[in-house]
Amino acid sequence: MAAGFVDFEITWRKDIFSGAPQESSAADFDTYGITFRSRKPHNEDEWELALAEITCEVPQFGEFLDL
Amino acid sequence: MTDSFQNKTGFRLQELRDAIRAEYQTVASEPDREFHFHTGRTQARIVGYSDDLLDHIPPAALESFAGTGNPFNLGPIEAGERVIDIGCGAGTDSLIAAGKVGPDGQVIGVDMTERMLEKARRARAEAGFDQVEFRYGYGEDLPVPDGWADVIISNGVLNLMPDKSAALQEMNRALKPDGRLQIADIIVEKEVPTSAKRQTDLWTG
Repeated sequence: MAAGFVDFEITWRKDIFSGAPQESSAADFDTYGITFRSRKPHNEDEWELALAEITCEVPQFGEFLDL
Repeated sequence: MTDSFQNKTGFRLQELRDAIRAEYQTVASEPDREFHFHTGRTQARIVGYSDDLLDHIPPAALESFAGTGNPFNLGPIEAGERVIDIGCGAGTDSLIAAGKVGPDGQVIGVDMTERMLEKARRARAEAGFDQVEFRYGYGEDLPVPDGWADVIISNGVLNLMPDKSAALQEMNRALKPDGRLQIADIIVEKEVPTSAKRQTDLWTG
């Protein structure tokens, strides 16, 4: 979103490093191949709408503090 | 960007680009050497390319393939469309895209590794595709006009770009409205400690 795209979707994920000829520390960090797609908005209106649809719920004060 | 990048990683931007270029010059000139990733037809099969698709690619291009997924599984690329292939390497994906867009479309492959571009240009001549060309450049500064592309593909390259935010903004600039990104790359599911971020091989692979 930050770069100005909408409809972001990861569609595939696979371990692509196993069995490679040379050992890599990539495996230590659970590294996977992925594919993703996204789209440049049609216009500013679509972009503004996409931004507005991003929601972030803020907890009430004390909700996690057992007050 | 250079200063903040060096502060975060301990690398100078140019130092890292030189290391990445050196790694992929080797993938271009010695594709059978042992790397910490698979290459060639073996890797293409692992990430989901069919032999039907690969059989049309000149072997000299395919042997240096080092992609991490299959961008063509993400959606159709139509006849007459314009495609940019960022980090095109020896040209496998650009040539597949050229077959899809046909003679009325255009494909521009961009790479910063000269030996890869040399192989890609030879493969283009062998395949006989006039609708594809290969240009030297960086993903963060694409050598294409604003709003040129219908589709941007990239395969295992975004992870190599030091400034990913700049790269995505550049993709946005180069796409038409409603233009699509079809990207293959890698993710890590465990946090990478600062000490590991200073290992060059983790950046170049």
